[in-house]
Amino acid sequence: MLDSRLGIFGLISDAGVVVLMVLSVLLSFSIISWAIIAYKFGYLRKSLRESKAFLDYFFEVHNIDKIFTESENFRYGSLPRVFRSGYIEYRALGDKGDMRHAKARIARAVKREVNAENKRLSTLVPFLATVGNTAPFIGLFGTVWGIMTSFHTIGLTQSASLAAVAPGISEALIATAAGLAAAIPAVIAYNSFTNKIGVIERDLEEFSPEFVAAFINEP
Amino acid sequence: MKKGQKLPYAEKHFSLWLVGAAAMHVFVLFLALYFQLWDADRHQKPKIVTVTLVSSAGSGASSENSLQEGAAGAVVAPSRAVPPPPVSKKSVKEPVPLPVPKKLPVIARKIAVEPPKPKDVEKKPDINQALLRLKQNVDKKTAQLPKPSATNLSSALDQLQQKVKSEVAGTGTGTGSGRGQASSSSGRNGVGKGYGGRGTADSYKAQIASIIQQNWAFSKQLLKNSYGMEVYVRINIAADGTIRQILYDKRAPSEYLNNSVKKALERSSPLPVLSKEEAGGDVWIGFVFTPEGIE
Repeated sequence: MLDSRLGIFGLISDAGVVVLMVLSVLLSFSIISWAIIAYKFGYLRKSLRESKAFLDYFFEVHNIDKIFTESENFRYGSLPRVFRSGYIEYRALGDKGDMRHAKARIARAVKREVNAENKRLSTLVPFLATVGNTAPFIGLFGTVWGIMTSFHTIGLTQSASLAAVAPGISEALIATAAGLAAAIPAVIAYNSFTNKIGVIERDLEEFSPEFVAAFINEP
Repeated sequence: MKKGQKLPYAEKHFSLWLVGAAAMHVFVLFLALYFQLWDADRHQKPKIVTVTLVSSAGSGASSENSLQEGAAGAVVAPSRAVPPPPVSKKSVKEPVPLPVPKKLPVIARKIAVEPPKPKDVEKKPDINQALLRLKQNVDKKTAQLPKPSATNLSSALDQLQQKVKSEVAGTGTGTGSGRGQASSSSGRNGVGKGYGGRGTADSYKAQIASIIQQNWAFSKQLLKNSYGMEVYVRINIAADGTIRQILYDKRAPSEYLNNSVKKALERSSPLPVLSKEEAGGDVWIGFVFTPEGIE
């Protein structure tokens, strides 16, 4: 048994099974959320930075082969990926005489890559929204359960003094605190990532036709 | 095919972050635990006090049992007290001189700490002596002084009357008559117009002061501070008793007091008609308003 010197940890050690389960769920939520936050933060930052650098290079150099070679250096950028998929489709075309057919095929390949990129960008992000929405309620559930059991215990002991009521409520409130601690970073990160993904998606929609036109108009 | 190659890489990358996040949580929890232990250690002094109290209470209750069980701690004190009798006579001589030097410094310290008290006790007789001397001196001086008599009182009254006369001579016509009637303040003696006029003015002033006092709505409790709360006001009264002008010679720090004075004067107007002697022109009368009343 942990002694009173441990404060919150001492209260957790005295908590009931349901409260402990709630706390373990919230802890796992928090761990996964922070992993997603760290992973997505680095991924999106790189994607934005490389897309910007690739666009600068794309408008500077008009040779598609050179651009393709340069795009290989941008491994995480969304725009370079889309460009590479269009280039591969363009090179795969055997007969380039039928321009309408070629343009349709390249556009389709670019569109497919844009969709894949959108999915890739938004992977794991909805989990943050889920944590942000549900964690406080899960914590609240643990608190309600804890208070319920503590009141039951108070009824059994037939003592309504503050010394009898306060420890149970304090113990139960830890669940709400844990829920908020898991939810707050998740919500902040979700809003930030949604904003960044929106920026990249707009870039993809805007510059995909430019890529198709560059392949078609290539001398 | 390429997606298939990339996804495992991404998953691997994410699993690394997952492990990192778990490690971070463990670290944070340990840090919180350590902080709470450290914080608890900082406030540990009261606990030591309670432990000593518990042990002292237990020693008295279980002295007999503890002797049998051979427990440590509180049992040690009684066990030391018990052994002297069984020890041989040689050991009895040795402990006797030991407590004596221990007690001596304690007494010496107490004496050193309490010197002011004896000093006060020594001073008391001096004060009493000084008081006695003072009493004796006062008695001697009072004995030397002449006893008050009826002649002394009459001479003092004469001196006062002479002073009054000299004032009348300065302000009035300088005839020097009318000394007995002057104190009546009726002003109808016909002699010494200045003095007589002053008597009517005083009665008139008292009359209007009472009127103003009645019309003065002022609560002393509303003032936060009564220090310097004085209003010196001069009013110009016309022959028909109306107040023509109000002049503040000195205003109080409280505007509440200043305004209440002004309102009281405005309410009091018109005042009673001036006497025949003063009816010729305007009269200026000054008042001092304080929270205690009109002076």
